[in-house]
Amino acid sequence: MTATSSPTDRYVAATLRSLPERQRQDIEAELRALIADAIDDRREAGVDVDVAERQVLIELGAPARLAASYTDRSLHLIGPEFYLDYVRILKVLLSTLVPVWFVIFALVTFADGSPAAVAFGAALYSALGTAMSIAFFTTLVFAIIERVSAVRTKRRANWDPSSLPEVRDSRGYFKELIGGVVFLAVIVVALVLTETLGTVEGPEGAEIGPIASGLWESGLFYIALLIAIASIAFHLLSYYTGWSTSNAIANTVFVVLFAVPAIWLAASGRLLSEDYFRAVGWPEGANVIAVVVIVVVILLTASDAVGGWVRASKKRRTR
Amino acid sequence: MLNEEALATHRQELRRGTIVLACLLLLSRPNYGYALLDALEKSGFEVDANTLYPLLRRLEKQGLLTSEWNTDDSRPRKFYATSKEGAALADTLKRDWHALDTAFLSLKDES
Repeated sequence: MTATSSPTDRYVAATLRSLPERQRQDIEAELRALIADAIDDRREAGVDVDVAERQVLIELGAPARLAASYTDRSLHLIGPEFYLDYVRILKVLLSTLVPVWFVIFALVTFADGSPAAVAFGAALYSALGTAMSIAFFTTLVFAIIERVSAVRTKRRANWDPSSLPEVRDSRGYFKELIGGVVFLAVIVVALVLTETLGTVEGPEGAEIGPIASGLWESGLFYIALLIAIASIAFHLLSYYTGWSTSNAIANTVFVVLFAVPAIWLAASGRLLSEDYFRAVGWPEGANVIAVVVIVVVILLTASDAVGGWVRASKKRRTR
Repeated sequence: MLNEEALATHRQELRRGTIVLACLLLLSRPNYGYALLDALEKSGFEVDANTLYPLLRRLEKQGLLTSEWNTDDSRPRKFYATSKEGAALADTLKRDWHALDTAFLSLKDES
């Protein structure tokens, strides 16, 4: 810094920084006049100018706090309305997924030929990373829920004793959500396991897994995983806003986005590696499993989509 | 004995609404922030600068105060004045205040 700005300049700048653009000019002019008036008053009482400025700024308090009270903005990430649910979901996710991930990762690494100590260390490291990702994304989803003021006002505006969910129903829904997360984790783990542990030697001498190798390497599974995670976050959001028709529509879009490519891949024989099933001595396996996958995907996604519409219509009836 | 922090919180809660009423009454004659702060203190209303200034803007936004920049002096200042709605609210709040006062007095008689 070449020219030193006065404490008042720095105070005003720090306050304005977190204010909306259109309010800045007016608040700046007023704030400067208020500070100058207060300083003048103290100087008349015989206080030294630097001391007076310091006292006045201290009395006004931290700039961030002053700015927050100018804008009525909250200074918390997750407020009291969602905090308990946040802690509950975070606890469940951390206490189930992290140990499972740790054990699976350690077993896979160990089976892959690493010494036990190395496998343990790698699993610990990976589990820590998983825990951090879970914490981050859970916090992110709740911070967004907290900031979508429509969610809060909707929640308050719609509140009526008759709109209270059935006790069994609400807990059941939470269980469903957690069930969805665990189901997803099992699928991911099973995929990773078979692709790393269950490989056999293919016709060209390369190690191949049951998933068609091009597909496995294409990164499509990561996209599918992302859609699934987004869908879980969406279910959580809908749990708070209440299921409306638009939620049910959005949920159906999610389902179609996931189901159509999945069914197409399985039906066109692009999902599984026929070489793998030939190598393990079950040549028709690829077809059998493809049919199972199609049926399971149809059942799960249809029940999810229909579930959204049922919840949306239930909500309307209670009103 | 109640600890100091809890005591301060209780007193602050009790005072909170009274500042709005005092501002609406005092600003029947237009005034600017610092002078208003001074006037409030002199009349016996304790309020912090960082509470009062944002409050004035909130009241203005609600249409209870009007504001105008006064550039007659060497230092331009934002002057606030109670609007018609503000004066009506002040009347209501004042009646409520008297009703509360009567209620407290009657409590005292019974005990």
